[in-house]
Order: sequence, then structure tokens, then C-alpha cells
Amino acid sequence: MSGSPFAEMLGALTRQRGVVASLVVDEHEGMIVDAILQFGQDGDRIAALAASLYRKARQSAHAAGLGGVHFLQMDAEQGRLCMAGRNALVLVVATSPNANVGLVRVEMLRAVEGLA
Amino acid sequence: MADDLRRWSDELAHDPASLAFLPLGEALRRQGQHEHALRVTLRGLERHPHLADAHDLLARICVDRGELERAFDEWDMTLRLAPEHAGALKGLAFVCYQQGRFPEAEAWLQRAAQGEAADAGIGAALETVRRSTGALHASDVAAAEAAYDPHDPRALFADSLDGDDQTAILLDPGGMVLGGLYLTESGRDVAPEIGAALSGVSDEASRATRHLGIGAWTSIVFETESAAVAMAPTVQDGLLVVAASRATPLGHLRRLLARCVARAAAWLGGTA
Repeated sequence: MSGSPFAEMLGALTRQRGVVASLVVDEHEGMIVDAILQFGQDGDRIAALAASLYRKARQSAHAAGLGGVHFLQMDAEQGRLCMAGRNALVLVVATSPNANVGLVRVEMLRAVEGLA
Repeated sequence: MADDLRRWSDELAHDPASLAFLPLGEALRRQGQHEHALRVTLRGLERHPHLADAHDLLARICVDRGELERAFDEWDMTLRLAPEHAGALKGLAFVCYQQGRFPEAEAWLQRAAQGEAADAGIGAALETVRRSTGALHASDVAAAEAAYDPHDPRALFADSLDGDDQTAILLDPGGMVLGGLYLTESGRDVAPEIGAALSGVSDEASRATRHLGIGAWTSIVFETESAAVAMAPTVQDGLLVVAASRATPLGHLRRLLARCVARAAAWLGGTA
């Protein structure tokens, strides 16, 4: 997926310690716009599920009158999935447990400004 | 509970004038089936227009639907029929509190406290109202709700939340509200809408973590323009949702989440 406007952003995120995958996903379609994945990862499925989770969070926030969702983090026993969205695109990053999630969050919020 | 619902429904089908509409409507209300509860109660009121408890039930359904003015009218009608009706007195206090009319809320509660059916919750509600300064906080409202019905599942987390602008709801696997409440600034409980929006989120989180091979999901936290929201799975495949103001540190939010998850587990264990 070289030559994409998101390649540099995804590359920078993937170089963060503990980041195992990074994707830009269409929130409504759940389709990959661009991604850097490790061999064997099912990016399409991750994209679809991540987009759906993000959409549900956004809809519930709307129902509660809380405004837009800036950042979402799902923790699991052996890793995390982080998301940040803008303009119907969602930046998705999967990390291992040893990732510095605070740093990843800051980088993602900075990077998401470039989603258009 | 399903057996009870069937029995009351059968009783009403057999005898439309039966008072079974009262427990049936209440049970449906507690299950979050507000439209169904409303229909059952209105049909009952057609047969029993002078039954105070029926108007009281209708008022509580109206509160669930966010119709505070209508709830006030129904409780007012309840008092015309039964001047010392404790539920109506506490309900009127609740509506006034929701609308920021604290002196009136206090007056209704004082009247309730003088009645024969006064309970310890009224004292707590009076204290809450007297503490109020004009700013309506979810935790205070939850406390007031607990007072107007101490066993109301909507007050499930009143003791677990420790600050202003915090709220929690417990959802079943289908997104139906089991306990807690989520009030907007206008006093409307939007927990059902949030539940509907989050329906299926546990399944999707589980599928996502399975595909990533990162074990079971333990929490989801998201930050919005005005709040931070945290979710976690609970026993019986439920979902616990806690929201707090953006000023709340995420670490503290996670502690609140853990506390509410424990409260929900104890409650579900007790009601299973």
C-alpha cells in the first residue's frame, strides 16, 4: 500500500515500541484504507470490528450528549486496540502489553489531525 | 419473573377488570419495557380511573420516559385520591428536585416524612436536597432516586460513585438497562438509548481480541468532548458503563469502573 497519503503516518506509529499493527479504516464501511500489518494478521477483519466498536462508542456518546469521540482504548489480557477518528476515518493501532500506551495515545491524537 | 408476567397477563386476559395490571405494569417498567408498561397501565386506568396506585405507577413510567411534567400531574392526581400516598409525595419531591425546585422538593419530602409510611430513605433524600446548591449532579439525583424508591435498580450505583458528574449503568447482553441511570442536563434518563447504541459491543470486542490473539477483553475506555466513558464485561454477559467528566483522571475512572463492576456482580448474584 505504498504511495498512500497515510503511509508515513502509519509507518511512524508502527515504529513505536509494542505497536504490532496500524490501520486507517473507513468508519462506515469498516474497510481498510491503508494499513501496515504483520504477516498473518487478518487486517480486513480487524478493520471491520474496530470500525464497528468505534461507531458504537460514537453513537452511545451521541445518545448521552457527550459530543464526539476523540480516543478509544480497548484493553485485553495480552494487548490493546487503540482508535482515534476524524472525518469518518478511524486510525486503529494494535499493541502488545509492553507498549507505552500513553505515548501511543499522544502520537495517535497528533496523527489523526492528518486524517482527511 | 417470566412465570409471573405470564400469570398476570393471563389473569388480565381472563378478567380485564383485574388489578393484575398493577404488578404487570410495574414488572414491565422495571425491565425497561416502558411502552408496554404504559399500554398495560393506561388500559388498567380505563377500568380503574380512581385507583391511586395506578396513577402512581403511571407517574413512574412517565419518569422513565423522561416526561416529568406528566409524571407530576399523575402524582398530583394520586394525592387527590389518596392525600397521604407516600409514593406520590416522594415522586413529587423527585420531580421538583430534577427541575431544580429544591424548596418545593424539600416540602414534599417533609410531608412524606410525617406520614405513616415514612422510611429511612426520606431522611437521606431530605439531606441531599438541603445540600443542593442549584447545580444538578447525577450522583445527587441518584441519591434522591434511591430515597424515592430505595429498591429501585436505577439507584444501584448511588453508593459506588464518589463524586459529582459521575454515573453508571448496567446493561444486559441485548443492551437492555438492568440498573443505574444516565441523566442528561435536562433530567432525562437516556440509559435506554445508550444501551441500544452499545448493544453487541461485548460480542464485537470479544471477536476483535480473538482475531488479534490478545486474550479476553477487560475494559474499553473512550474520551469524548465532555466526558470519559469506561466499560467492562460483568457476570452473566452484562456490560457495565461508567461515565465521568473529562476532568476525571483515567486512572480514577478505572477504579470507579472496578468498584461498579463489583457492585453489579454482587447485585446480579443476589438477583440471579
